[in-house]
Amino acid sequence: MILRKAKGIHIDGRKQMSKESPLHEHLNPQFVYIPLIQQTSALKRTVEVGDDILIGQVVALREGFGAMPIHASVSGKVSAIKKVWHCSGKMVDAIEIKNDMLQRMDASIQPEADTTHFTREELIEKMKQAGLSGLGGAGFPTYVKYQTKLPIDVVIINAVECEPYLTCDYMLINAYPEKLLKGLHYFMRAANANRGVVCFKSYNKHIKEALQPLLVNYPGIELKEIKDIYPAGWEKYIVQQVTGKTYEGLPAEAGVIVDNSATAMVYADVVEKNIPLISRVITITGEGVKNPRNYYVPFGTPVKELIQLSGGYTDGLVPEKAWYIAGGPMTGRAILIDDLIVSDTLGAVIVKPMPEDKAHPECLGCGKCADVCPVFLTPTEIRRAYETKDVDLIKKLNAQKCMSCGLCSYVCPSHIEITDFVGKAKDLLRKGA
Amino acid sequence: MARFANGKAPFLRTSDAKNSGTGVIMRDFMIGLLPVILFAWYKNGIKVFIEGNITFLEMLYPLIFILLGGILSTLFEGLYFYITDKNVRSFKALGQKLKVSYAVIPGLLLAMVVPLYTPIWVLMFGAFMGTIVGKMLFGGFGNNIFNPALLGYIAIGFTMLGVIGNAGGVFNASEVLIDAYGGATPLGTLAGTKVIDYDTLVAPYGSLWNFLLGTIPGALAETGSLAIIIAYIWLSVRKVIKWFTPLVYIGTVFILSWFIGMAAGDAGIWFPVYSILSGGLMFGAVFMATEPVTTPRNPLGKVVFALFLGALTVLFRYIGNLPEGVGTAIIVMNIFTLPIDKMTAIIRAQGIKKSTIVSALGLAAFLLILMVYAIIKAGNVYSTFITFVPFIKGVF
Repeated sequence: MILRKAKGIHIDGRKQMSKESPLHEHLNPQFVYIPLIQQTSALKRTVEVGDDILIGQVVALREGFGAMPIHASVSGKVSAIKKVWHCSGKMVDAIEIKNDMLQRMDASIQPEADTTHFTREELIEKMKQAGLSGLGGAGFPTYVKYQTKLPIDVVIINAVECEPYLTCDYMLINAYPEKLLKGLHYFMRAANANRGVVCFKSYNKHIKEALQPLLVNYPGIELKEIKDIYPAGWEKYIVQQVTGKTYEGLPAEAGVIVDNSATAMVYADVVEKNIPLISRVITITGEGVKNPRNYYVPFGTPVKELIQLSGGYTDGLVPEKAWYIAGGPMTGRAILIDDLIVSDTLGAVIVKPMPEDKAHPECLGCGKCADVCPVFLTPTEIRRAYETKDVDLIKKLNAQKCMSCGLCSYVCPSHIEITDFVGKAKDLLRKGA
Repeated sequence: MARFANGKAPFLRTSDAKNSGTGVIMRDFMIGLLPVILFAWYKNGIKVFIEGNITFLEMLYPLIFILLGGILSTLFEGLYFYITDKNVRSFKALGQKLKVSYAVIPGLLLAMVVPLYTPIWVLMFGAFMGTIVGKMLFGGFGNNIFNPALLGYIAIGFTMLGVIGNAGGVFNASEVLIDAYGGATPLGTLAGTKVIDYDTLVAPYGSLWNFLLGTIPGALAETGSLAIIIAYIWLSVRKVIKWFTPLVYIGTVFILSWFIGMAAGDAGIWFPVYSILSGGLMFGAVFMATEPVTTPRNPLGKVVFALFLGALTVLFRYIGNLPEGVGTAIIVMNIFTLPIDKMTAIIRAQGIKKSTIVSALGLAAFLLILMVYAIIKAGNVYSTFITFVPFIKGVF
């Protein structure tokens, strides 16, 4: 239906700045801080101050839904329990580990001679024991998705990375293309699926060139180019592009599991070497950083060190007039103090001077926000309903479907915080319902 | 440790770029008005001057008149701010305020849809009604319910018809002082004769080409269909207006008029073409039915709005006693913008469902009844050989 056609829009990627320098490893920070939070669940600490720690040793447990262990990312001693800034915008308790620089491994980390005999259950159990969670930004425990009772036909790898500025997935695939296919291969076995699809943005020719020749060794895996629009990395959009199917709640309803490319690459190591999820690639970029680039770092690394490695902030940057953004520029969060630590859901830190202030008029009702909304909402109406606190109307307007992609605020010519209004309406709905 | 600024996602905004934002939309809107203003100047000034009928100063008058409209509404709005808001009593603050409230537009539009020889004080009255009553009393830019320019137009239309007539301008008719355009407007003729006939309606003005070019009697700027079409293309390309709103509106009038022509015994394509090219339809459809503040915001709402506008315009035009229905139709539909917005936003968000289909069907049925009524009623009014549904004649 023409009136419900969402096209997405092309946004200037600004990715080049962090692509120029190769993936940089920074494996031994002096201290790491393992935050005692995963998604919104507080973790139960299993080590005490003074304990000797090995890489891969369990230091905390997520309990309840999505229960899984969390592992140490360096070897050394627990030196303190400290409050740190987490990318969710909150201060959380974290286990401070003083790195002894010896990289002593836990006994569980050892290569598997043969991976062909693993059953589906064993593969899923490995995800759980490795503490594998989605590295795309949501941090959802991966094994929960694979425990589905629904039949899965396709496993899709999301390497679209539609947020501007971000290049962490791209750089990682470029560095280890085969690992991605291995990870996907194990994912397919864990889901009992015959088909695997790697989705990437059409302009990322490098990915295609690197993966295409390897495909012969991985039956059932294919590549799929996705248009360069935002939000092309949205799960529903990708599933629709690959299978033509839509779903209400979880992709499994359409017989699909979607995983981020970085998660798949970690999973290859989980299966073959028993290395749990303890590190990731993070993009340090933005107009406010001297040498933007990507870093491969253990979890808990202070971002400050990475910014120093990047040459620090640009000369003349006034922090009070700049944003320090955790995550992508469309959905990320402004962090007020540059004291952030790397965790599983932090894909990027962007330092960006604020645009000049100018006078903005009222909403003129152009309707551009409704035009771009991928889930066919009319944000101006939701705002109106929010302002009159009409919970019933907010519900009828389907505000809960909003996935906070940020497009409505992005296109608003009057600079209205319309995404934020919809977010507040959602909060109201949650409280009211 | 450094302290950074707070902000809300997304951290990229199109409105932050130099050449974007509401200011640019409004600038593009003014550029869209330009061909229409130039045509109005040509038709009412330059052309007549070349023919030797008026003096040089009189030639400049149409242009001055339109600009005066813009100046008047700006003055009224500035005055309103000055009186009501203590913080904006300096020139700088006032300028800032007027810059983001686009005060100049209502007056400009108003001056373009009234006859040339409307007395200045009547224009002033219209600008006052439009700006102060239609816009500022509702809370200013972004909060007004009625299109300010149209409200001023309606106010003049209902109270000042005689005054304009005495001054030599016939409301919504030709400028009688200019010989070349003596006589009534095409729609005025239709309202007078109640006959759908090519020889009465079109032939006196030349051919339909003149209707397209706009060299027919009518208010200052509204006859220039070609200039308006150019403006329409510009505004659509620049995404100032939604391309489909005017198309749906004009298309509805076209189809309904065709049916009315058939009902009246003349199925010629000239009649619907004549219908869409005369009166303020083109001007209203492109510049007023698309005005963002007072029309629905979501695409579905815009379509519903335009369909209703089409039906109402035909009703007012052919059945009421007004020679022109566009302004009235748009003002009436402005009232329904809020409910249409709400209803269509729900339908759009939820898709086809039991709960939404009822309201959608209700809306469609209402629209259909309105349209059928317009056709039958108008068809009977204009029918020369009473052939069309004779048993209904007299019932409605």
